[in-house]
Amino acid sequence: MGRYLGKRSLTGLLTVIVVLVLNFFLIHLAPGDPITILAGMDNPSQELIDITKAKYGLDKPIYVQLWTYIKTLLKGDLGHSIIQARPVSQLIMERLGNTLLLTLTSAVLALVIGTALGIAASRKPGSALDNVLSLIAYVLYSMPGFWLGLMLILLFSSTLRLFPTSGMVDARASYTGIAYVLDVLKHMVLPVGTLTLIGIPGYFRITKASLAQVLKDDYNTLFLAAGMDEKKIFRKYCFRNAILPTITTFGMRLAYVIAGSATVEIVFAWPGMGRLVMSAINTRDYPLLMGVYLVTSVSVAVWMILVDIFYAIADPRIRYS
Amino acid sequence: MGEKQNLLSLEDVCIGYETPTGTVRAVVNATLSLSAGDTLGIVGESGSGKSTLAHGILRLLPKTAVVTGRMMFQDVDLLRCDAKTLKDLRWKDIAVVFQKSMNSLSPVHKVGEQIVDIYRVHVPQATKEEVYDRMRHLLSVVNLPDRVLDLYPHQLSGGMLQRISISLSLIHQPKLVIFDEATTALDVVTQGQVLSEIRRLQSEMHVTSILITHDVSVVAETCRRVAVMYAGHLMEVGPVDQVLVSPRHPYTQGLLASFPSLSGARRRLRGIPGTLPDLKAEPKGCVFAPRCPKAFDRCHESMPPAVDTGTGCTVKCHLEGSER
Ligand SMILES: Nc1ncnc2c1ncn2[C@@H]1O[C@H](COP(=O)(O)OP(=O)(O)OP(=O)(O)O)[C@@H](O)[C@H]1O
Ligand SMILES: [Mg+2]
Repeated sequence: MGRYLGKRSLTGLLTVIVVLVLNFFLIHLAPGDPITILAGMDNPSQELIDITKAKYGLDKPIYVQLWTYIKTLLKGDLGHSIIQARPVSQLIMERLGNTLLLTLTSAVLALVIGTALGIAASRKPGSALDNVLSLIAYVLYSMPGFWLGLMLILLFSSTLRLFPTSGMVDARASYTGIAYVLDVLKHMVLPVGTLTLIGIPGYFRITKASLAQVLKDDYNTLFLAAGMDEKKIFRKYCFRNAILPTITTFGMRLAYVIAGSATVEIVFAWPGMGRLVMSAINTRDYPLLMGVYLVTSVSVAVWMILVDIFYAIADPRIRYS
Repeated sequence: MGEKQNLLSLEDVCIGYETPTGTVRAVVNATLSLSAGDTLGIVGESGSGKSTLAHGILRLLPKTAVVTGRMMFQDVDLLRCDAKTLKDLRWKDIAVVFQKSMNSLSPVHKVGEQIVDIYRVHVPQATKEEVYDRMRHLLSVVNLPDRVLDLYPHQLSGGMLQRISISLSLIHQPKLVIFDEATTALDVVTQGQVLSEIRRLQSEMHVTSILITHDVSVVAETCRRVAVMYAGHLMEVGPVDQVLVSPRHPYTQGLLASFPSLSGARRRLRGIPGTLPDLKAEPKGCVFAPRCPKAFDRCHESMPPAVDTGTGCTVKCHLEGSER
């Protein structure tokens, strides 16, 4: 296991480096640059542009820029945002918590609800419950997140006035303590609801498909012949066998939780990573973009290793080969 | 042999699988009885309904299967008894070694854990040590070390899993064990050991067994009685020393001719030309008539009933009791 982990960590590290270099070139080769945007649209002075470019080292050849970036990285520094003139790490840390609040909560809720519904539907395949749930899952699956978010706002905020339309806190009231927490929770309901709803169909379908397969396995007949309760067979044996693909799906989802969900964050004006990335792209904020992508790729690499470990724990066939 | 002593008796059992394109008649009018301590072999070609019959006895068939007739185990009506009675009976009184033993354990749980769970169905308070102690003995019977209990199924060979299934079937000392192709995956040496063990169980522990196999020689070695199955019908049922020595049914004769002689004399093996009929079609005459070398007019008109030959055998053949 130790050897295996070492190997996996090494490939993970290599992946991150390759992604970093590729990203660097892609971002810098894309049309537009942050200096033009900083300088503004109306008759920017060429002199100012040249000075600013030199200040950020953007006048050097791209491989020199890459080398400089890597040297800064090795010192544990993600660099400075050109547009916002603040350390990238600070910008990311500010938004990360907000984003995790949305994505982690909804990832866990979607996992639990989607799997539970999948199990419920599998209990009686072809029943009314199964058909209704499958239809709902199908409809949800084809719904874009931003559209669903807008509909929820229309219904629950504009019409029913149950929840705020946007933001993370009520800007007019300056709550503290419990009141603050409650206020954030109230603001969370709709965006988390949206992300959960669009996450549910995936788990629902995987659970259903996997259970349909597992319920046909031959050990069911043995345990039944042994007089074991169907409920016990299901809870202990079918469930454990059926849950393997769900672990993979959930792990993949967790890998991306820190990237946030740009469209839903924009719809709900949630101050998270997704919106940070969108604005960084629009303003060609090179260091900020690089920073966000680096953090995301490290997260993906780490989670893939964790998923492998979880998977090995759950499935002995993988552990011992 | 009085009615009272019968451990298991089947009367006119029919089992059909409902499919979108028609009913597969997997077992048709099977009548059979088995007294305590007896060993019955069921032989027949692949697809003749042997496993279906075995699963039917413990009500393990899929929901698409329709079972009619009567199955009595001692004084329990197997087809109509309630779920509780059935649950109490399963594994404690009747156990099965399944044909697909290689897959009959969960791949993500240790062998021992699954066996402990199975044991606890009937003895809920049993500790792991008690179950392991019991299994240790049963495993030694089939030549396995008890360390297999701490392994996962994928770490064991097909033959090892089959031997585990055999020991597992004996864990509650059931009155009846159904071995469905239990020795097929074993090498000749182990097969011989397991078969002699089954014989010993039968005489010492009074285990009654049904041995389902393709291999007539296994039946000859191990069983006292044999049932020859063809296309869902029990064509000939009787003591081994009669059915296998002087078979009355043309199918049995053909089947025996397809195996090397039991006495060792070398001769050309003959198969039976043709294949199993389509079990979905309702045959007009005898199911074997299209392949039967001795078929005559009546054989193409009706299925013969089971006739008692007066020598302890029943035979489903028009030749029986008519002008031979
Ligand atoms: N679930 C099912 N649905 C429909 N038909 C089935 C089903 N299971 C078995 N059958 C059919 O029933 C017939 C008898 O099958 P069965 O498994 O009892 O044969 P068998 O004698 O045990 O064969 P083998 O020696 O190969 O194990 C076969 O024709 C098979 O195709
Ligand atoms: Mg079979």
